[in-house]
Amino acid sequence: MVSYKYSDKGTVIHRLNPWCKLAWIAAVFVLALLFDSPVYLLILSLSTLPVILAARVWKEWLSVMKFAFFLCLLIIVINALVSNQGSHVLYQFPVAIPIAGAPRITLEGILWGVGNSLRLLAIISAFTVLMFAIHPDDLMLAMVKAKLPYKSVMVTSLSTKFVPALMDDAQCIADAKKSRGLELDRGGRIQRVKSYASIAIPLLSNSLDRAVQVAEAMEARAFGSGERRTFYKELKLGKVDITILSFVFFSVAFGIFSRCSGQGGYQYYPVVEAISLTASEWAMLFVLLLLVNAMPILALLKRKVSLD
Amino acid sequence: MISIKNLTFYYSGGDKPSLRDINLEIHDGEFVLLTGPSGGGKSSLCRCLNGLIPHFYGGKITGKVEVNGLDVTKHSTKELATMVGMVFQDPENQLVAMDVDSELAFGLENLAFAKEVIARRIEEALDTVGIASLRHRATSELSGGEKQRVAIASVLALYPDILVLDEPTSELDPKGAEDVLNVVERLNDELGITVILVEHRLDRVVAHSDRVIVLENGMITADGGPRSILSDGRVSQSGVGIPPIIKLAQAVKSKGMSLRVKRSNLDDNTPLTVKEGRIALAKTLRHSKPFASRHSEHPSLSLRAEGVAILRPFAIAQGDNKESVIASETKQSHLKPLIEVKKLWHAYPDGFVAVKDIDLKVCPGEFVAIMGRNASGKTTLVRHFNSLLKPTKGDVILDDINTREATVAELSRKVGYVFQNPNDHLFCDTVEEELAFTLNNLEVKGEEAESLIGQTLERFDLMQYRYQYPRFLSGGEKQRVALASILVAQPQVIILDEPTRGMEYRLKAELMKFLDQYRREGRAVILVTQDVEIAAEFSDRVVLLSEGKIVVDGPKREVLSRALLFSPQINRLAQALKSYGVPDNILTADEMIEALT
Repeated sequence: MVSYKYSDKGTVIHRLNPWCKLAWIAAVFVLALLFDSPVYLLILSLSTLPVILAARVWKEWLSVMKFAFFLCLLIIVINALVSNQGSHVLYQFPVAIPIAGAPRITLEGILWGVGNSLRLLAIISAFTVLMFAIHPDDLMLAMVKAKLPYKSVMVTSLSTKFVPALMDDAQCIADAKKSRGLELDRGGRIQRVKSYASIAIPLLSNSLDRAVQVAEAMEARAFGSGERRTFYKELKLGKVDITILSFVFFSVAFGIFSRCSGQGGYQYYPVVEAISLTASEWAMLFVLLLLVNAMPILALLKRKVSLD
Repeated sequence: MISIKNLTFYYSGGDKPSLRDINLEIHDGEFVLLTGPSGGGKSSLCRCLNGLIPHFYGGKITGKVEVNGLDVTKHSTKELATMVGMVFQDPENQLVAMDVDSELAFGLENLAFAKEVIARRIEEALDTVGIASLRHRATSELSGGEKQRVAIASVLALYPDILVLDEPTSELDPKGAEDVLNVVERLNDELGITVILVEHRLDRVVAHSDRVIVLENGMITADGGPRSILSDGRVSQSGVGIPPIIKLAQAVKSKGMSLRVKRSNLDDNTPLTVKEGRIALAKTLRHSKPFASRHSEHPSLSLRAEGVAILRPFAIAQGDNKESVIASETKQSHLKPLIEVKKLWHAYPDGFVAVKDIDLKVCPGEFVAIMGRNASGKTTLVRHFNSLLKPTKGDVILDDINTREATVAELSRKVGYVFQNPNDHLFCDTVEEELAFTLNNLEVKGEEAESLIGQTLERFDLMQYRYQYPRFLSGGEKQRVALASILVAQPQVIILDEPTRGMEYRLKAELMKFLDQYRREGRAVILVTQDVEIAAEFSDRVVLLSEGKIVVDGPKREVLSRALLFSPQINRLAQALKSYGVPDNILTADEMIEALT
């Protein structure tokens, strides 16, 4: 069983300033959108792995990735069916399907799906760090520091906190209904949807009760009234953090520079390009890889330094 | 200091006042126990003290409530937060942060304290409550008792003079409740913090309180020292759960025996704790020659030459008829068990083995209490009885059906399962529909259904609510509707998972009366509970679980008497009075009174 809750595993990544992690996620995101070359995208996807491993969230990552792979498969299949611009025809449907017409499966169509799947994988992989390796309170604080209104941030954070309670509640209500003779998993699809929908009413009223109680408890501890508020925890940037941040920014800048100088592009249509990188391209890719991975490396060093 | 003058309050939309004409002064450092039937206005009164009423709830308020000289209607809850700390009933719904030290910082941050001050206050609050070891833990991983102590620490960090706790233990297990109450008592003793504690179970806290206030229908009906209030007959009639020891003392006195707790004060003759009861009763027994000789003809009592009252061992057959009938019945092997558990093991998907190698039989007419600490496997075990859980190993046979081969819904004809929170049961528009829903699922229709619904509504005294929206009923009424919605199917076995937690005494007794009737019709009642007094009074067999295994299984008298932890208050008294001839297997106040007279 994988729980989708944040749990503090105390790794160097968990200990790292949330700004560094957020910046790194943003950097992977930008770079993934920037480049088209499958080599670049593959290496970018792989370069998220050291962070995942260092944060010891691979179990969670794996279960997210299972879902991501399914998504990718969907992209590949759909694109292969609807795009008919490629020139290497693998299979021509003899009959027309509504909407899609008579699909022509081309090598280009499939490869486009694969290439963009790599892009998606890189982005999703980076975001698992956001989900599993950034403390929700830190994230909240970062959002507040980013000038988002405190109350909205607090409400968002609270709603995520009460998701597990909501799930338990739903389970309990479903069990209670079954115990009163309702076959929740029997009957046609419509009947089942109806049965499960009947859980919604008690769930909603229980949640409203809960919301009032939480609000009351917060009020009793001086929440609200819109005045100034202090924060006990700070997101202080140390020297190493600033170094990490600058490396991350530099990786984006370097990426933009290399893309502008004509590297990392790729054409699928009409004829798929051969993948060939020059020595200088490999060199620049290597530098980029190093820059992106500066975060886990420096985080490890930081741990060393602070221990000494 | 709190001063309330002529306070009357209506919730918005309410046509009946929730509080009426309250006049009250609470002095600094007092430990006030606030009790009374549910819906009596206890929570409303608490909420007036920090301005949640009227600022949060609205409604109509007249009269004056002053806390340290501040009028609560003119000062916001935020301003009052540094004077009145409030802890609520449900530990799940009052913590807002991810970890303990952020939780403690929350109130201070809201009041814009400097970071350094917050750090110091967190440290102090952690130590005062004794939870420094929890400081980095995630709040979601804490037990209920730990959560409540974090909640106390989090309001304590605001340096309140007054601590208001609205049923802080009603969602907790006995151990968690004990931890919380210890903290509250210490805060009052050592720091002089005024405590206003709302509680249903008085036996544990009454000895520590300076004053007991009873609220009924929004009015104060009794206010005074715990000894005088609780020995007042009117108070016990109002449904307040009088601790067994006080009940016993009252009965002893009404029999004309003298009972004196302290030598100096004649009025002060109601014992509040087991210790006081032990001393007082020992004294009475020692000096009860006239009383004893008066009763020497009585078969249960004889007199030894030294003048010590000797009581016949309290045999099951004597004075315990109802139990004996059923107990002997179940011992007969020709009675086919309703539930047969054979070598049951259950492991959860995360690998936790919750029950291990359980063998158990439950026969018709039995009232079984399943007891044990938290996470001892009680709920896991009973969830197998209606197939909510399937065995990992072993079998559960229910009336010739193996639960592996049946769905929960199929078994609902035979097994009724009542969940702790009645809100989880209620989702229809009227009370009648709730009952019809169950019957409809079981394909009982037409006239048969009509008559069953009618009978059940009658039985649970719900006729007048027939067309009302169930969720708007009071707590006790909701519990009755939930029970009715299960029992309308007339299952042979009824399982209740901690139904009495947080319930006032009158409702508990009412519920138990229904259950007792039910089992007399040849059905079985299985009660998961941590409430020793309830098990002692109403069950006839106790199964004690520990770490997933059955430790003891036997008649309640064997299991609950002479035990250290799982013994009721009166039994602890009886054990101590053994040398005076009091049988040490007495469990309830009524039995003790019978043995003494």
